[in-house]
Amino acid sequence: MSEDVSVRVKALTKRFGTFVAVDDVSFEVKKGEIFGYLGANGAGKSTTIRILCGLLSVSSGAATVAGVDVVRKPNAVRHAIGYMSQKFSLYLDLTVAENLEFFGGAYDLFGMAFRARRDAVTHDLALENLSGELTGSLPGGLQQRLALACALLHQPQVVFLDEPTAGVDPEARRTFWRVIRHLAEAGTTIFVTTHYMDEAEYCDRVGLMVAGKLAALDTPESLKRTIVPGRMFEVQGSSGAEVQKVAAELALLDVEPFGAALHVRVAQDGPNAEKLRAALTDRGVHVTGVIDAEVTLEDVFLQVVGAAKPSHAPEGAKAS
Amino acid sequence: MKSLRRTMAVAHKEVLHIIRDARAVYMALGLPVVMLMLFGYGISQDVGHIPMAVADQDGTPTSRRLSQALVAGGDFVRGLDLASPDDAEAALRAGRVKAVLVIPREFARDLARGVPAAAQLLVDGSDGTTATIALGDAAGILQATSSVRAVRASLSSGPRIRVRFNPTMRSTYNMVSGVIVLILAMVASLLTALTIAREWERGSMEQLFATPVLRSEIIAGKLVPYAGLGFVQTLLVITLGSFMFGVPIRGSLVTLFGCSMLFLLAMLGSGLIASVIAKSQLVAVQFALMMSYMPVAMISGFMFPIANMPRWLQALSMVVPGRYYLTTLRGLLLKGNGLDVLGRDVVALAGFATAFLAIAVWRFRRRLA
Repeated sequence: MSEDVSVRVKALTKRFGTFVAVDDVSFEVKKGEIFGYLGANGAGKSTTIRILCGLLSVSSGAATVAGVDVVRKPNAVRHAIGYMSQKFSLYLDLTVAENLEFFGGAYDLFGMAFRARRDAVTHDLALENLSGELTGSLPGGLQQRLALACALLHQPQVVFLDEPTAGVDPEARRTFWRVIRHLAEAGTTIFVTTHYMDEAEYCDRVGLMVAGKLAALDTPESLKRTIVPGRMFEVQGSSGAEVQKVAAELALLDVEPFGAALHVRVAQDGPNAEKLRAALTDRGVHVTGVIDAEVTLEDVFLQVVGAAKPSHAPEGAKAS
Repeated sequence: MKSLRRTMAVAHKEVLHIIRDARAVYMALGLPVVMLMLFGYGISQDVGHIPMAVADQDGTPTSRRLSQALVAGGDFVRGLDLASPDDAEAALRAGRVKAVLVIPREFARDLARGVPAAAQLLVDGSDGTTATIALGDAAGILQATSSVRAVRASLSSGPRIRVRFNPTMRSTYNMVSGVIVLILAMVASLLTALTIAREWERGSMEQLFATPVLRSEIIAGKLVPYAGLGFVQTLLVITLGSFMFGVPIRGSLVTLFGCSMLFLLAMLGSGLIASVIAKSQLVAVQFALMMSYMPVAMISGFMFPIANMPRWLQALSMVVPGRYYLTTLRGLLLKGNGLDVLGRDVVALAGFATAFLAIAVWRFRRRLA
């Protein structure tokens, strides 16, 4: 295995009874890469992470993390990985310092070595002066950062973050992602699941999971270009049904709700904003404005999910 | 178990959980005191103050001495006097008294002549325990009361009974030793049942599994503080039993605590099995109670003698560690037995401790599925 590949997954399949949680998934993650994993609830994101952390057995396929075969030797990988599970799982009745000390001990860090690492992570994550606080009394953002600190104490090569910012305020999320980027720059591989599309934009590459299958995998830019090609407009003041009726006639590729407005996509050589507005108005569609819009990962997600499940509601993108 | 330091890290964390959780501290140290009080004082099989009616038709000094002897023994309280033995039935039926002493006419004269004395003690058999004990006590009192010489003489033809190790037949002694078994069994298995189930429920077990800590280290780390707590508990209940209820400690203290630790380990192990299998605190607690409290209370010989049980229950009691600990405890406290006598029970306890802990580790899978 080449030195610069951190995670290698090949034809990975995991069944729970007749339910196939992960279905023949293959990918590679390079060292120092931020790898985002997107998908709805039950799409197999957490299951994949648990397998890579050696917590779940595999039905078939191969998985290597930091050079360790996690299918055959799940215990051998633990010193090399840091894991933050979806559910906040530090001990709430312990203080910040006690949680750090316990997880330090769990990762074989004691004495001087532990104190040096503790000081480093508390500094990086701005957790100084909190050591005496009970973990349960901290706000969500700080708890999240503490959980990350505990997962980073032993300087893991690969960090698995399962929806690390769920339920955390935007300010805390930004701080969190700043730390993630620093880690990646320093050579740590980050494997992160999220349901925030803006966070997915921070990732070097994004994998889209739909019903256990890896439906798409590329950089955010390439995904937008290949999956949602053409020009995107934001159409204001119209109802989706109204526009949908004339979609075929105007060669509209997509009509999706976007906030209070609509995202309407046309081919690369299609009309510009002005022409689109005129065309819509001509056909009796009520329009208050048409402006150029950026293709977002949300559009990509809807496109991919829509291909697998045509009637998918747009909220599906938000609720992971 | 590969790393002692990792094990100690788990143990240290567990100690912090215990001291932060008032419930655990109460359960470990408060509950034993409450239970000991309850069983020691409240639930005594020594029946005292049995209300007794007397129908003395003889009315002689001899007949009066007989009724006085029963009252003086402390078990009977003279409730009312009946004019005729015919009223006895009604008094018992109404529940005004639990016993009626009927002394017939000519009682003193018959005794003096050497004719068998025909005094009658009617006991309310609807309360079985009281009846049995009242009868036993009455016989004992009459035999021991030298003032009723004639009565003694008439009874002395029977076998002479002498009770060893607990001459006054204080049920408290048996009760307290049984309660010690019950308390250690219950608290040890309950506390450990909670500890692993709680981590499953909170999700911290998954986090723990992602670290290099081994399952044997998790188990051992959790065991150490609870074994320590159990030791303090043993010290507490035995000291209380000794000071509050005067239970003697005739055997070696070292053997006593050694055997107690073996029993504790077995109970901690059964609690671990419960929580390893159950994964939810509620189910784990019920499971632990089923595995510890119930067998100890029912078939360890604490409340009901094993010899009186049907064969299949006797066989079942062989796999109740409490049975062996109870034998050991009674032997050590009351008889002053040493390992020479208790060897078999100690080996059984050690076997259970090893087996239960091994099963707990074996059943405790690191993987989630």
